[in-house]
Amino acid sequence: MRDFWKLYRRNRSAVGGLVILSLVILMAATAHLIFPEDPFRLAGKSMQPPGEGGFLLGSDSLGRDVAAGIAHGAKTSLFIGLLATIVAVGFGTVMGGLAGYYGGRIDNLLMRTTEMFQTIPSFVFAILLVAIMKPSIESIVIAIAVVSWPAVARLVRGEFLSLKNREFVQACHTVGMGDAQIMLREILPNCLSPIIVIGSLMVATAILIESGLAFLGLGDPNIMSWGFQIGAGRTLLRSAWWVCTFPGIAILITVLAINLVGEGLNDALNPRLRERQ
Amino acid sequence: MKISIWLGGAITAVSIALSGLAAHAQKAGGTLVMLVQPEPPSLASYISTSGPIGLVAPKIYDGLLDYDKDLKGIPSLAESWEVSDDGKTVTFNLRQGVKWHDGEPFTSADVQFTVMEVLRKVHPRGPNSFKEVTSIDTPDDHTAVFNLANPAPYMMRSLGAYESPMVPKHLLDGQDVKSASLANNPVGTGPFKFVEWKKGQFIRLDKNEEYWKEGLPYLDRIVGRFIPDASTRAAAMENGEVHYGAYGAIPNVDVVRLRELDSIGVTTDGYAMINPVSLIEFNTTEPPFDKPEIRQAISMAIDRQFLIDNIWFGYGNPATSALSSSYAATGLYAPGMPNYPANADIEAAVKILDDAGIAPDADGVRAKAVLDLIPYGEDWRRAGEYMKQALGDIGIELELRYEDVPTWLKRVYADYDFRMNVNYFYQLPDPVLGVHRHYGTDQIRQGTHFVNSSRYSNPKLDQLLADGAREANAETRSAMYKEIQEILANDLPVVNLFEMKFLTVYNSKLKGHDLSGFGAYGSFDQVWFDD
Repeated sequence: MRDFWKLYRRNRSAVGGLVILSLVILMAATAHLIFPEDPFRLAGKSMQPPGEGGFLLGSDSLGRDVAAGIAHGAKTSLFIGLLATIVAVGFGTVMGGLAGYYGGRIDNLLMRTTEMFQTIPSFVFAILLVAIMKPSIESIVIAIAVVSWPAVARLVRGEFLSLKNREFVQACHTVGMGDAQIMLREILPNCLSPIIVIGSLMVATAILIESGLAFLGLGDPNIMSWGFQIGAGRTLLRSAWWVCTFPGIAILITVLAINLVGEGLNDALNPRLRERQ
Repeated sequence: MKISIWLGGAITAVSIALSGLAAHAQKAGGTLVMLVQPEPPSLASYISTSGPIGLVAPKIYDGLLDYDKDLKGIPSLAESWEVSDDGKTVTFNLRQGVKWHDGEPFTSADVQFTVMEVLRKVHPRGPNSFKEVTSIDTPDDHTAVFNLANPAPYMMRSLGAYESPMVPKHLLDGQDVKSASLANNPVGTGPFKFVEWKKGQFIRLDKNEEYWKEGLPYLDRIVGRFIPDASTRAAAMENGEVHYGAYGAIPNVDVVRLRELDSIGVTTDGYAMINPVSLIEFNTTEPPFDKPEIRQAISMAIDRQFLIDNIWFGYGNPATSALSSSYAATGLYAPGMPNYPANADIEAAVKILDDAGIAPDADGVRAKAVLDLIPYGEDWRRAGEYMKQALGDIGIELELRYEDVPTWLKRVYADYDFRMNVNYFYQLPDPVLGVHRHYGTDQIRQGTHFVNSSRYSNPKLDQLLADGAREANAETRSAMYKEIQEILANDLPVVNLFEMKFLTVYNSKLKGHDLSGFGAYGSFDQVWFDD
């Protein structure tokens, strides 16, 4: 662990990303303490500029606190990002692992399936799924996971393909280990680092997709999110710039931070890059 | 892509003396580009009252009558008309020499066919408007005699081109009216002829050179453009690419900005015929909204003025009764109804709930429900978010639900699978046409849109509605409607929110578009460009 930190630390921007991400997580965790009221609450006069009327970042057309929305929205964004990623990575790893390990017809079947998913532009596909299932937090997580898993599956398949013919795997076969055991205990741990890297980047994509959906009005109407704030404030851009600018900045910073962390993880976990600097 | 350019330079002045409208120097010529939003499903105004159809079809079809700004009937296809003393016979003397756009003559047979076979059968409101018509006699080609079972004064207010277009018998007779190709290739007698419909882009109408009003229309062409994005529409209006947008085509937030420009005009006129009111429909047959007290409390707890000021930018008036205050002119509107405050009265609302024994649980929640919202744009979503907060304050916990239009219509009007639904209805120029459909037991018509989805049924009210429709004496009629409004203000199967004010945004060079009581749903025969 200490070695890992030493390697990670060498990438300065990755450390910066981690700091920012920690702050966002802290903000999400303490949102209900700083802003105990419902973020949809009409807290005061409408369309107040930042700093006026008791609103740090201003208020929107109904008098809702933009700052409270951002803090509570952080919870939504991180929650959806993490959950959708876990589902997508879990499912993609199983699919890719099976395809790579067994090859042949199973591989063919599974890979043609992923290709089918990959031919549809992912955001359009996500819109379609949410529109069919009706917007709710579950349907959004499912939609993001469905459009994200094929990339994981292909990556894992590639790793499994190259590892399954290595001597240590062959050795396992000769000592009579079962397939499941070989996959889980021998091959999977060896391809964990690329999975972690792709997973961390996927969180950022998931946050962007969720914001995009909410912006288009396909978010869960009962849950505050950054995309919702931007969508609701977009018509006011010329008269109340702060309503959608601050949530936009929040998305930008968070996604950037996650990408930097992902990059750092990649540098630290990839043995070929370890000696780069 | 620029579909159309205003042909300002090509305008030629015509002698208006010919048309008998010599007061102003109207100029003929030019192409009007108007926003049609969203793209209409068809142009069959005799089947559907869908808004965008109403923007286009009345330019192609005429009605028996037209209406001025005070909603007084004026001659159109009918040159004159007489109502018999008992109110049961109405004789229309039709204009001679009127031709359909395909050259066939317009006759009384067309009137008979349109009312009896088309409007009474397939029009959403036609069965109501022409309920009392038992038969139509056609003694000659230019006389149509309507025989009524009972007097129907409201019928005389629904004979305009938008509400009751006259359609050609020779193109519909013997066909299934609902699937006839006339829907997408309309042939009327109106000032403009249908020419082309490029799906997803525009509808083009050209001047009817043989229009029966001499010297009219002034315009050479009308192009109805479909621009899905609201800010693009506003930009197109700002830079003069389009000249006319009604029914909220330009969002209020942009209107507030555009109205400062000299080149842009804004009016709330032209909607008197439509008389739109936003409202909440309740499912009165199931808990929690089966008790009138909870509906009264909701009506008390919603700040109508807040909705108008913060979401609709000040355009609207708080509702004060089941009937819109615009009925004041007809003497039917009764002011001072209970349960209709302009500003929220939370204390009173809480008291109503407490007195009715609708008590809060440990979390302060008295009732839970899903609030469905009309999927017609962002404003309604904001209204839903506001209501969720406002009603949360009196212990009614709401969850918001937005769906696409067909799913929503099916849920509310076919499956009755809803508790509380935000919507808006047109009250039209007479309550028989626009208001009765919310409340009458005979208006519980499963599968028909925009009728009594609350399934409210009150025999006493039914009787009053039936009497009110037939009563010819104005004083007796207003007394009846006062009683109707008192019953409805207490029972509240529907809580009216506010009287909506739609906005028409236009290029200031455009003149004559505000002469009709129909506004954007008018024929536009007297619209012209000033340079």
